Amino acid sequence: MTKYFSVLRINWIQALEYRGNALIGLFAIFSGLFIEYQIWTLIFDSSNYTEIAISGSDQKFNFLQLIVFIFLSIIVGQLKSSWATSFQMIFEIRQGLINKYLIRPISYFWYHFMMFIGTNSLYYIVYTLVIICFAAVFPEILFPTIQSLIGFVLSLIISIYLSYCIYFIMVCFAFWFGEVRSIVLAYNLGMLMLSGQYIPIRLFPEKALEIIRWTPLQYLVDFPVSTAVGLFSFNQWLYNFSFALLWCVLLTGISFIIYSKAISQYEAYGQ
Amino acid sequence: MVNRYIKLWLAFFRNTLSRDMEFKMNFVLELFIDFIYYGSLFFFFQVIFQYQNSFGDFNQDAVIIFLILLYIVDSIYVFFLGGNVFEVNNKVRTGDLDFILTKPINPQFFISFRYVNSYALISIFILSLLLLQLSYNYHNEQFIIINYVVCLISVILGVSIFYSIEFIIACLAFWFRNFSYAGWLAGELIKYSRRPDSIYNKWFRNILFTALPMAMIVSVPARMLLFGPNVNLLLLQFFISISFLVISILIWNKGLVKYESASS
Repeated sequence: MTKYFSVLRINWIQALEYRGNALIGLFAIFSGLFIEYQIWTLIFDSSNYTEIAISGSDQKFNFLQLIVFIFLSIIVGQLKSSWATSFQMIFEIRQGLINKYLIRPISYFWYHFMMFIGTNSLYYIVYTLVIICFAAVFPEILFPTIQSLIGFVLSLIISIYLSYCIYFIMVCFAFWFGEVRSIVLAYNLGMLMLSGQYIPIRLFPEKALEIIRWTPLQYLVDFPVSTAVGLFSFNQWLYNFSFALLWCVLLTGISFIIYSKAISQYEAYGQ
Repeated sequence: MVNRYIKLWLAFFRNTLSRDMEFKMNFVLELFIDFIYYGSLFFFFQVIFQYQNSFGDFNQDAVIIFLILLYIVDSIYVFFLGGNVFEVNNKVRTGDLDFILTKPINPQFFISFRYVNSYALISIFILSLLLLQLSYNYHNEQFIIINYVVCLISVILGVSIFYSIEFIIACLAFWFRNFSYAGWLAGELIKYSRRPDSIYNKWFRNILFTALPMAMIVSVPARMLLFGPNVNLLLLQFFISISFLVISILIWNKGLVKYESASS
């Protein structure tokens, strides 16, 4: 394990060198939130809504609850994003630079997972501070119980891991196709909407939700955020958490199978 | 002078087109990304329209036309400039800007127009046909030619503002040395142009029409097409596009003075 923590430490130090990125990340969060705020203000004002029904729960959202939900969704959406690490992995595969991992006693999967955590570590700290501030301002909406806080942290870890697995599987296609940045980019763009980063998936049309329920997408943003605002009872949370874990096992298995298939035919010539 | 630059751009286009033809799969993949991007924005508004029938002047049909116009503006920008603007950071960081500065040509023109994203032509073509059809239906099955002409002028001005804002942000690389997240920052600012101006409250709309002219990029061309020419708005857009273009040139020149070519 020590070697993987060394990778984490090095990437943590590197992340600290680019503190400006966290500032842009913060700007992105508040700018995204501002646009959503404007849209939902218009909807609530002009349609005389006081509450909006949400799918999968008896509760309804008032304006403030909805905005806090979207705010947290944008943050979680950014924390799970891994395009920088993915592009580096694709580059290494294309250029034949992956040889250096083959001669080292490390797992390519776990090595890059630690890199992913290390690269994002600055965001974890900065965003945690922002969440604490929001939780202090809206204590009755965000983390209403200590269980919701613990549940949020656990489901966020699952979300980040699931997201990494999905990226890893996409990156592995570079072994066959060479250039898969387009796929990663398309996935990132699609996920902005489909994972519920800007509009809670609980507001999606029922047909779209029926499809999403068969995928791990609901565990990327909606599950942690719904936990944080206390939408789940303990049993409901446990049920969802078990399924999320099942997805983790499944995607980890797929990642390792695809990687071992790919590496057995990898010629490492580069381009 | 203008002829020379047009000839040069055509040479850039021929060069990049022949490069793109070598990687035909990229054509398909880039179109695939566009499709996902367009689809996700369309889906966003589909969800919103469950709760709201219109945003100020823009009803559901108008918002769809707005979105098509947004995709066209985006594709035009990508076709001419999109692949180049954020190369400024790489060129400054690696010192490769030296090679551009030594050429007998305006360096800002060269760095902005060198690579043409030819695949965007397909998007522009398909989306233009779609826009014609939708706007024809919107105007009770008639083509109001003046609207299209003014809209086209407004689109050109909008693309110019889009370029100036992204280029100004990209030029910050001269001061930060490595500003690889310029694209992210610009994307976050440009995001304000991706919603009809009528969703914003009054004071913020005033900002979007002047100091941070995001509404000028798509909302104004959409208004020209949907609601007919508005001379005041068009003149304001013209003034702002010229102002921002001049600011981008000034910042670029300031940046060149600051440039040390240290990495080369």
